[in-house]
Amino acid sequence: MTTALDTRRPGQTAEVPPPPASRRPRILQYNFLGGLTGWIWLVVVLVPIYWIVITSFKLQADYYATNPLVPSSPTLENYRFVLENHFVRYFFNSVIVTLGAVVPAIVVSFMAAYAIVRGSAGSRFLRSVNAIFLMGLAIPLQAVIIPVYLIIIKLQMYDTLGAIILPSIAFAIPLSVLVLSNFVRDIPKELFESMRMDGATEWGTLWRLALPLTRPALVTVTIYQGLQIWNGFLLPLILTQSPEQRTLPLALSAFQGQYNINIPAVLASVVLTTLPILTLYVIGRRQLLSGLTAGFGK
Amino acid sequence: MKRRNFLSLSAGAAAATGLAACGSSGPADTSKDSAGGDAASYWFLSGPPGEPIRQGAVDRFNKANAANQIKVTTFQNDTYKDKLKTALGAGQAPSMIWGWGGGGLKSYVDAGQVDDLTAWFGQNAAVKDRLFKSSFGPATIDGKIYAMPCETVQPIIMLYNKEAFEKAGVQNPPQSWAELMSLVPKFNEKGIAPFSLAGQSRWTNMMWLEFLFDRIGGPEVFNAAYAGQKDAWSNPAAIDGLTKIQELINAKGFVKGFSSVTADSNADQALLYRGKAAMMLHGSWSYGIIKADGGNFIKDGKLGFFNFPAVDGGKGDPTNTVGNAGQYLSIYSKASEHQKETAKKFFASLLDDTEQQGWIESGGVPIIQGSNSKLAASPDKDFLNAIYDIASKAGNFAQSWDQALSPTAAEALLDNISKLFQLQISPKQFADNMNQVIGK
Amino acid sequence: MTIAPPVVRTAPPAASRGARSVSVSWMAWPALFAFTVFGIVPLFGVLVLSFSSWNGLSPNIPFTGLDSWRSVLNDPDLPHALWVTFLIMALSWLAQTPISILLGVFIASHQRYRNWLAVLYFVPLLLSQAAIAITYKALLDPNFGLGAGLGWGFLQQDWLGESKLAVGVVIFVVSWQWIPFHSLIYQGGIRQIPASMYEAAEIDGAGRVRKFFSITLPQLKYTIITSSTLMVVGSLTFFDLIYVLTAGGPGDATRALAVDMYQRGFKANLMGPASVIAVILVLVGLGLALLLRRLGGRDAAESQLEGA
Repeated sequence: MTTALDTRRPGQTAEVPPPPASRRPRILQYNFLGGLTGWIWLVVVLVPIYWIVITSFKLQADYYATNPLVPSSPTLENYRFVLENHFVRYFFNSVIVTLGAVVPAIVVSFMAAYAIVRGSAGSRFLRSVNAIFLMGLAIPLQAVIIPVYLIIIKLQMYDTLGAIILPSIAFAIPLSVLVLSNFVRDIPKELFESMRMDGATEWGTLWRLALPLTRPALVTVTIYQGLQIWNGFLLPLILTQSPEQRTLPLALSAFQGQYNINIPAVLASVVLTTLPILTLYVIGRRQLLSGLTAGFGK
Repeated sequence: MKRRNFLSLSAGAAAATGLAACGSSGPADTSKDSAGGDAASYWFLSGPPGEPIRQGAVDRFNKANAANQIKVTTFQNDTYKDKLKTALGAGQAPSMIWGWGGGGLKSYVDAGQVDDLTAWFGQNAAVKDRLFKSSFGPATIDGKIYAMPCETVQPIIMLYNKEAFEKAGVQNPPQSWAELMSLVPKFNEKGIAPFSLAGQSRWTNMMWLEFLFDRIGGPEVFNAAYAGQKDAWSNPAAIDGLTKIQELINAKGFVKGFSSVTADSNADQALLYRGKAAMMLHGSWSYGIIKADGGNFIKDGKLGFFNFPAVDGGKGDPTNTVGNAGQYLSIYSKASEHQKETAKKFFASLLDDTEQQGWIESGGVPIIQGSNSKLAASPDKDFLNAIYDIASKAGNFAQSWDQALSPTAAEALLDNISKLFQLQISPKQFADNMNQVIGK
Repeated sequence: MTIAPPVVRTAPPAASRGARSVSVSWMAWPALFAFTVFGIVPLFGVLVLSFSSWNGLSPNIPFTGLDSWRSVLNDPDLPHALWVTFLIMALSWLAQTPISILLGVFIASHQRYRNWLAVLYFVPLLLSQAAIAITYKALLDPNFGLGAGLGWGFLQQDWLGESKLAVGVVIFVVSWQWIPFHSLIYQGGIRQIPASMYEAAEIDGAGRVRKFFSITLPQLKYTIITSSTLMVVGSLTFFDLIYVLTAGGPGDATRALAVDMYQRGFKANLMGPASVIAVILVLVGLGLALLLRRLGGRDAAESQLEGA
């Protein structure tokens, strides 16, 4: 399969609007090693996914009776079961929690990163803020969960989606600030100077200069934190109680009985959980990639 | 040594950073928030087979008692334990605490988190007397009863695949350990694993040791360790049991790769009913799983079962058994008086005929004296009667070690068991490691 | 991702530095506030608990000074857990980084089929750690898993039962989940590299391998640091996946710090020692972050206004 890669002519590849650089770097072509890795990795990725999909169409009773890699008497029973178990509500709860946490987390982290980079030379306060965030990088959630639980109860937010959102924001901040400040720091000082000459405030500079120039980092961090929150298990488990407030990862455990897991049902809910985000990704991929490659025009 | 309440501690921490002002109005009782009024809260395990039966019992109670309502929340097994522990630590536990009794219950008792029910049982002898006597063992800490036994009795038994026995030309299930060892090569020759074992789950391995210790040295061996006797794990009977299990492992008694087989996915059960393994030592709840997943295995009469065989020259009574003598409900000490009253009323209503029937249909034996009279009508009567007999006639009904011991010691035990079964440590090292956590 | 400033940094005029600090300080407040309430206050609570022997249940917390610290620091399990943590961190970095870069190069090319490949690569990222662990446990089952399905004996190993294999499985599964994300970052980084640099190198007669090592890799420096930071810091808090996959086993072969802390705190009711381990985890994370900054040639306290 890889021979196909090697016979391509340059220029054959321009199906997508060309990026800032008008010609593709030659390194991207005739890449045998990359191609080999690419196809092998595809198999590595696909085998478990293939297994997840076919197994989600099996009956629990057939699960151990059939070859794990061969589809057999497909049934929609698991999907029906999952959808009947409030899947849609869990799904929307997850969407609310993820959006509600990621957007504010990234905004405040971005502002903090900007302040730390622009101000810490002259401000002891900002230097200590930076140190505090660094300390927060590896806070193990399991260790602090009891204090967090008590605070949520004090705030009278127990068993609300907000109870998941607020700590999720807090725990997304340290890593986001670290990554974003690295990128803000890379913006040449001259650009800030010229903004200042034009009479822009720091607030204006933040949005008009720093934002466009750190877009790749913002996209990276947003995806990373979004996935962490989307798949978060412990916070929803401890900070909510009623079925109305449950999120998808908790719903997964609903298909685990007292003595066993209904594996096909779990997998059906995995498929249902993944499909919408995957669709979103397919639609938004181009924006995402242009986000990842924005920055200085070169 | 200074003692402080955790609530005030964390409030102190919040105040220290100037945040105490943010809307603190004392800890909220979670059951009041959600149910309105003063309903008793009750958390229990979700999923089949127990959830609908437990839910049914609550529904009937709520219907019959307008003034005493119960609000339930269900959790999956593992997540329940974490959720409950956090809630207890934060002083926010449900009015009724569902559990397994034993060491876990003792840790709640030591922390003053559950009420002493001895007096209540004294006043309500009728509630107490209809239950299996053995079911009170794990509910009793230092002579006082802290939990209401409920639900079903689940002894651990040996299950076997009759078809696999036929293939290997084995007539009867083994009567003694020596006979059991002699069957190992016979099954291996036919390409059938003698025993299925979900070694990854650790507690599955533990069941083997529980029986070997008992059969060789009687219940005293483990009881000494439980009671905190010095060097109890170095008892010759214990060393003998540990050695015997390693002999069985070396003889390829367990299915190849057993350390990668997991119990929660029921892969160990599948090995048995798919004929890849001949026997399996497991809790009586296996029956329900095999019935649900194993196709016609039970219907075709291929499932056999027997009590763990005697060990030649052993001191233990071969009628002894190990397992869960019941499940347990305790009352949270911080629940309101009304909630406590509701809980007690609910306890008295437990295991009515409808609930008993539910458990029987799920393949379980309710912990009620004489519940065997109801078993005859069940299609699973052979199995259920066997369980009833094992449970009611047992010379000694020991509790699973990991539930009898304190959580600290149980964790160390499971760890060392996993190493023992991997042959990473010798019986002596096992005993030395375990001696160190005695009394912790 | 890589923003290689084309402009040489020069010292800016030393104007109104103090005033500017004040005018930007407020921007750090919202993040600081949110993090203090749910991060610092609980962390402070953990620090306090590390001086207690709380069992996690009792309403009373017995403070026992340095007892928990002493018991953890003298426990041979601690060096082991640290070793496992670093082993998993280092091996998963070593496994993920080269593959991510190669895949990043591969999918950076603008070809439609590669775009679709990139979509498929992305899927593992969307699955929760618990779902991934359930999947792999099933696939690795020696009797009903992948090996049995394909009839390939070499896949029927005691994957979760042998220490070395279990560590390998954890690293493989971590890589399986996160390589797509990191190759996405690298893809962005590679597309940033100006084509003119390659053209110049070609004029000098550089081969593909040399171009990769003399242009691509150096140009990806900051991308590598970003991706490594996410990998390394992220690996400290891997918990769900290891816990569901191996529960730290077999024995203690995969018991990393986070798993050790959970088992002590939630399973063994030893909240004091568990809090000690949590504090150690936080310190390790802090140390790593500082180290990574130095590797990037930038000090934590450095700001672009420094030297002004």
